[in-house]
Amino acid sequence: MAISPTPTYLFLLSLFTLSLFLSIPTAESESELVADLLALQSESKSGVIHLDDRTIAKFLTSPQTPRPYSIFIFFDATQLHDKSELHLPELRREFALVASSFITNHNHSNTKLFFADIEFRESQSSFQLFGVNSLPHIRLVGPNAKSLKDDSDQMDQSDFSRLSESMAEFVESRTKLTVGPIHRPPILSKTQMGLIVALLLISAPFVAKKIFSGETFLHDPNIWLSGAIFVYFFSVSGAMHNIIRKMPMFLLDRNDPSKLIFFYQGSGMQLGAEGFAVGFLYTVVGLLLAIVTHILVHVKNAKAKRAVMISAICVSFWAVQKVILLDNWKTGYRIHGFWPSSWN
Amino acid sequence: MAAPETSTAAVPTLYTNNTLRNAFGGVLSFFILLLIGVMAFSIRLFSVIKYESVIHEFDPYFNYRVTQFLAKNGIYEFWNWFDDRTWYPLGRVIGGTVYPGLTLTAGTIWWLLNSLNIPLSVETVCVFTAPIFSAFASWATFLLTKEVKGTGAGLTAAALLAMVPSYISRSVAGSYDNEAVAIFALIFTFYLYIKTLNTGSLFYATLNSIAYFYMVCSWGGYTFIINLIPMHVLLCIVTGRFSSRLYIAYAPLVVLGTLLAALVPVVGFNAVMTSEHFASFLVFIILHVVAFVYYIKGILSPKMFKVAVTLVVSVGLAVCCAVIAVLIALVASSPTKGWSGRSLSLLDPTYASKYIPIIASVSEHQPPTWPSYFMDINVLAFLVPAGIIACFSPLSDSSSFVVLYIATSVYFSGVMVRLMLVFAPAACITSGIALSQSFDVFTRSIKFQLPGISSNTEVDAAETSSATAEAQNDAVKTEKSEETSKNRPSKKSKKKEKEEKPSTKAKAEKRLLALPLDSSVISLLLLILLGAFYVVHCVWAAAEAYSAPSIVLTSRSHDGLHVFDDFREAYGWLRHNTDVDDKVASWWDYGYQTTAMANRTVIVDNNTWNNTHIATVGTAMSSPEKAAWEIFHSLDVKYVLVVFGGLVGYPSDDINKFLWMVRIGGGVFPHIKEPDYLRDGQYRIDSQATPTMLNCLMYKLSYYRFVETDGKGFDRVRQTEIGKKHFKLTHFEEVFTTHHWMVRIYKLKPPKNRIRGKTKKSKSKTSSTSSRGKRSGSGKKNPWQ
Repeated sequence: MAISPTPTYLFLLSLFTLSLFLSIPTAESESELVADLLALQSESKSGVIHLDDRTIAKFLTSPQTPRPYSIFIFFDATQLHDKSELHLPELRREFALVASSFITNHNHSNTKLFFADIEFRESQSSFQLFGVNSLPHIRLVGPNAKSLKDDSDQMDQSDFSRLSESMAEFVESRTKLTVGPIHRPPILSKTQMGLIVALLLISAPFVAKKIFSGETFLHDPNIWLSGAIFVYFFSVSGAMHNIIRKMPMFLLDRNDPSKLIFFYQGSGMQLGAEGFAVGFLYTVVGLLLAIVTHILVHVKNAKAKRAVMISAICVSFWAVQKVILLDNWKTGYRIHGFWPSSWN
Repeated sequence: MAAPETSTAAVPTLYTNNTLRNAFGGVLSFFILLLIGVMAFSIRLFSVIKYESVIHEFDPYFNYRVTQFLAKNGIYEFWNWFDDRTWYPLGRVIGGTVYPGLTLTAGTIWWLLNSLNIPLSVETVCVFTAPIFSAFASWATFLLTKEVKGTGAGLTAAALLAMVPSYISRSVAGSYDNEAVAIFALIFTFYLYIKTLNTGSLFYATLNSIAYFYMVCSWGGYTFIINLIPMHVLLCIVTGRFSSRLYIAYAPLVVLGTLLAALVPVVGFNAVMTSEHFASFLVFIILHVVAFVYYIKGILSPKMFKVAVTLVVSVGLAVCCAVIAVLIALVASSPTKGWSGRSLSLLDPTYASKYIPIIASVSEHQPPTWPSYFMDINVLAFLVPAGIIACFSPLSDSSSFVVLYIATSVYFSGVMVRLMLVFAPAACITSGIALSQSFDVFTRSIKFQLPGISSNTEVDAAETSSATAEAQNDAVKTEKSEETSKNRPSKKSKKKEKEEKPSTKAKAEKRLLALPLDSSVISLLLLILLGAFYVVHCVWAAAEAYSAPSIVLTSRSHDGLHVFDDFREAYGWLRHNTDVDDKVASWWDYGYQTTAMANRTVIVDNNTWNNTHIATVGTAMSSPEKAAWEIFHSLDVKYVLVVFGGLVGYPSDDINKFLWMVRIGGGVFPHIKEPDYLRDGQYRIDSQATPTMLNCLMYKLSYYRFVETDGKGFDRVRQTEIGKKHFKLTHFEEVFTTHHWMVRIYKLKPPKNRIRGKTKKSKSKTSSTSSRGKRSGSGKKNPWQ
């Protein structure tokens, strides 16, 4: 694909519109631009070049197409970093990971593709230039892109889920460049690993001695008991579902933003608080039953026995009834018996 | 039943009385167990009553076909069976790639019945295998729980298991799948392990290995056993419960069990090569080290022992480190660290959703929400914590196993809804223990404080009170002493004798361990109510939720019951109207059914072992007619079968699965791109649909002539009018459409006569070559051309 046969007037028009935004339309030679980019790249730790309105004009809008490089741009906004549902910091980290992997895989010598990020506050006009009005947003500006808004490729929202791997795939599919393996930093550095191993080795004889003499906390059944109950509570509350699906604890009501939704109708999904509430109801009945049958029988005072038992009965009854009602409401099932037809 | 004798031996005067009671109790429990078995069997017959005696769903059809082959050709033929009816033209080695336990079991039952001159068909045997084995499973539960907490808890647990919905969902009549026999094998293996642990008998240890072998034959879930038991052994060692019984319970299981497991072709050397089994070997080594230490401790003086310990610990550590290093090196050398994707997603629950979309997409592998627990184990969810606490008072080897079992399985069930099936028996066992102990406490309280009895006891305090106390204690104590004496035979029996001497005093104290009468009565009633609710729920679940065979569908509307038997109609048509060697292409879901019911060769089936092959079919379905015809023709396909629910509103049809075909096809053949089938990221088939979508084969085969039904072409599943209503097929012809249009079968038109094409014009030829050139240029070509 050489020069695309665009009619000249369109070309002129686009140049004209571009020049409206531009303040420095001085064209530098291509090699100088690449050298500048390389310099900027080596300045940043991860290899992601920080662009602003001025540098965008310099590197993207002013040079004539085809440019000798593509730029893969991550649109960032610092004020939105605390919104957890956007995952901006996480995506930014992954983006940096792809960038540094790409650079190391190409021995710092690749000049075809550069990674960059733009911050919203600093460069609002660039955001307009790209037509970006929602985040997260990742875009690849190819060598031939004239209008930044229309000719560049936007990465699909749904592709973000697999993070750096999908970003690398996206780049590979659009630029015909290979990114190569992603170099994730190991969770523990080498010195940390060494320290941990040394600590383990030193402590091992002491631990073994303790185990043989039978005085560790592992010999206390109460620890195991509470552990088992906790695992049970944790699982029946559907906490794994919340972790895997990254469910929020509650939702904001769309019709009335001041209200919070704690319970979600429909059996395929649950909210965090909902799960823990029902998990608690599940667990509390069994615990009360166990307290009554194992501890309360040893109590001497008859009045205390009666009081505790009645409150336990009330709480259990309420919990079971609540769960049944909630379940019927959530799933829409109506459980019914199968009685002899003559009874009706 | 040796245990009751030891406990009663101390009180010789009551010996005869007690034997009578024990005998009566034994007979009663036997009949209760019999009834539990009958209940477990009959609650699973709803599917036969409501529908008919038919094999369910997809996988069971494969198992059924394998069983048929086994019954017809015998075991050796079955072992060497190469199936050429499926995965055409590759075929599949059946003998080496299935877990043969289920098939062999049903085949044996069939053979046995036939040699007794009971002429049941293979299908009948297959349909009723699962209910029969759930009766066995409830008996195994009884045995297991009895070993842990006595007969009462055993009976309760067995009754609960007989009707637990989670297990019913996999074992209704007709659900002829591996889990049907595997759950029985699982519980029975655990029972034998506990039995060996309690008795220290090598006989049970051997039986345990054989039961484990049966489990390995039946289900891939055997890895749960081979990880859970080592965990328990380790737990026992760490908490200072090592004993020779533990050694006997574990060491033979590892050695014999691993050897036996390696005999199953589908497992083979995996039994020693994969990471799932490494834990057992590691614990095996640790067990020997610990046994050695205990031995040294026995023969040395305490002072010498201290010296020896430092020596042994240092040497042992060095050996352990070396072994662990070797293991780590072995594990690290494989890309997935030696673990299969499913096991990894259990350890790291977020693994599958990140890296293996195909595992994450299966509905069985989703993490459950809290209503799933209420649906599948119902009120047991409330009772389990009480059962766990009951297991801790007192904590024995066997009850610690139950605790470990429930803790691990509840965690796994939280990760994958499918493993609820493994969790259900544990929940039944613990709830059985909880229920039985609560009943024990409440009935004891009531019995002591009933006005009639208490006045009696006060009249002649000395004798009667001891007698009644003995009577009431009898049930409790025999159970308790039974299990304690089993756990610590030597120490405890001595202690027991000491305890029995000041018996009247102990009994007086025991009297105080009662709860207020009124609240006990209320609690008892509420517990019974809870149980009744459980029964109602289970029957409802069995009847309404879990009995649909999904091969025959019903729907209830205002004008009565509708039965949709289109699948069998279509398969019957194929069997009777096509040549025996014709190949039928469909999406993989219907592969097993087509081979089993229509007896025709299929291209792909539910054993999704070859992704490329599936992708080829997916590509054909997503291509335009001509390209699809070429792919199918290259595969020697004669008929194409699509499932269409738009007329009757059957939601799991091929159009709804179509995006998966596109994705899987696009994964291998990049010229199929998912965005081409989506309009603004939305999947639609109405007038807004993309041209690629409206021209692909799946759309055309599904909606061909659809407009003739109601004049508008309104799709009831998608709730919209279809986008392209009037079109003709050029390369396919419709040969059969079932009564409700749920299955549509098309025949590939024969290739055009070359002479005619030549004489007519060269125009069509050039166009076809140019299109082919473009295709080959744009992407990967179909490998079958």
